[in-house]
Amino acid sequence: MAALLRGLRAGRTLRGLTSAATTAANTQCSLRRGFYCTALRLQDESKSDKPPSSSSINYHEHYHAHSTEQNAAEASQGDSASDPAAEEASRQNTSYQNQSGEQGEDYETEEQLQARILTAALEFVSLHGWSIEAIAAGAETLGLSSASTGMFYSGAGDLVLHFIAQCNSQLTEILAEQHKQVQLGHAEPKKTADFLRDAVETRLRMYIPYIETWPQAMSLLLLPHNIPDSLKQLSTLVDDIWYYAGDRSTNMNWYTKRAALTGIYNATELVMVQDSSPDFQDTWKFLDNRIQDVVNMATTAKQVQSTGEAVVQGLMGAAVTVSICLSVLFHH
Amino acid sequence: QRWLASPQNAEVSRVFVGFCQRCHDEQEMLHRMLRVDHAGEYGANRIYAGQMAVLGRSRTGPVIQEMWDHEKQHLEKFNEILAENRVRPTALLPFWNITGFLLGASTALLGKEGAMACTVAVEESISEHYNSQIRALMEKDPERYTELLQVIKEFRDDEMDHHDTALEHDAESLPGYWFLKNAVQLGCKAAIYISQRV
Repeated sequence: MAALLRGLRAGRTLRGLTSAATTAANTQCSLRRGFYCTALRLQDESKSDKPPSSSSINYHEHYHAHSTEQNAAEASQGDSASDPAAEEASRQNTSYQNQSGEQGEDYETEEQLQARILTAALEFVSLHGWSIEAIAAGAETLGLSSASTGMFYSGAGDLVLHFIAQCNSQLTEILAEQHKQVQLGHAEPKKTADFLRDAVETRLRMYIPYIETWPQAMSLLLLPHNIPDSLKQLSTLVDDIWYYAGDRSTNMNWYTKRAALTGIYNATELVMVQDSSPDFQDTWKFLDNRIQDVVNMATTAKQVQSTGEAVVQGLMGAAVTVSICLSVLFHH
Repeated sequence: QRWLASPQNAEVSRVFVGFCQRCHDEQEMLHRMLRVDHAGEYGANRIYAGQMAVLGRSRTGPVIQEMWDHEKQHLEKFNEILAENRVRPTALLPFWNITGFLLGASTALLGKEGAMACTVAVEESISEHYNSQIRALMEKDPERYTELLQVIKEFRDDEMDHHDTALEHDAESLPGYWFLKNAVQLGCKAAIYISQRV
């Protein structure tokens, strides 16, 4: 019964609106607000447990008819965007829609909240180091209790891992952008060695704001319970770099390439932590040399392989010659 | 070609939207499938290479060569798919390289029938394996994997053709055919199990 009453009330509002739609355009604001209120009320009604009465179905038809009518009115208005009233109306319109339809979007998962806290905590790393205190300070800037640090299973380790994940996705974005530029023909494709060098340098430069405290972070990553995650981050980083470097190998090279780049990255990171030269020039020089080493090694490996093949072919030739000689000897 | 969200998208979503366990599981499953398929085609290639090393100049040479050419195409296709979807190849490729070649060469040393018996066993295992993958994909989401299903179905049919060809070439007349076949199939099952994981 209550639903029926509500339906009737909604119907009355709608009927009022239909007549309003035909009047001047400056009533649009109140009109739309009323319209969305009606829509909300109707939605409420359909949500209730009772089976929908015939009247409400009827009103839904009204609803559709009315919305097309309103669209027509909007189209005829033409320059509705320049009209402040209409603009306000459309803003109202979206906010109502968000309230009614997309409640799920506002819901924040625990991971999202954690990510938000950790991002805020990064600002306090220079003050408190990579520690629970930094996370607590970060949580407080978001208006949360510092006790919320309890939701981080490995404490400071989570903060470091979050930072690394953030840097990795930032690098991936940069590389993807470069990749797009090359594909569109706006930029020259780099040589693989140069590409790797630039990618590693870009990535390591993200540590510069935290370089003072980075050794502490590195030691946190080596704690047993952080090792699986830090290895996972490292492998995704290296895999992403090779992917954008254009590596499509599906044989053992897949492993050797990644192993080589992992080694280079880790070694360079260690050098960087101890580097006191201006703008870390020594580090980049070191990086250059290591990459050159790998390139040299690859060419040597290729040469060895081709030499090996030549030797095998030579041996096969010799064997065939010997067997021919032998058969000739035994025939006579 | 791309059936998966790329890893960087996965990474971004892990950081900003929260981690989707179901997507992760499904991606993991697909990666396993593609990895083992690639390993299988690679192994099949090595088996035919071993057979050709022994029987290449005999009368059955062209028959084996033809089947080998199909397998080369299959491997090529899986190379593409793996690279496109950024799937890690199995770490045991060098092992399958040697094992496959030895299996092919040793059965070929038993004569033409031995090689054909080996082919029957291997191709039967591979088509069974493909069939189970087709079932799994159909169960998941046939719409999304239409292209992959197409590829697998086509390859499955090729493998069945090889199986029939080998039977036509007197595979069953080998003494101890039943024993050889079962031994090879057991090995194939073990290889599939390992290649999915490692």
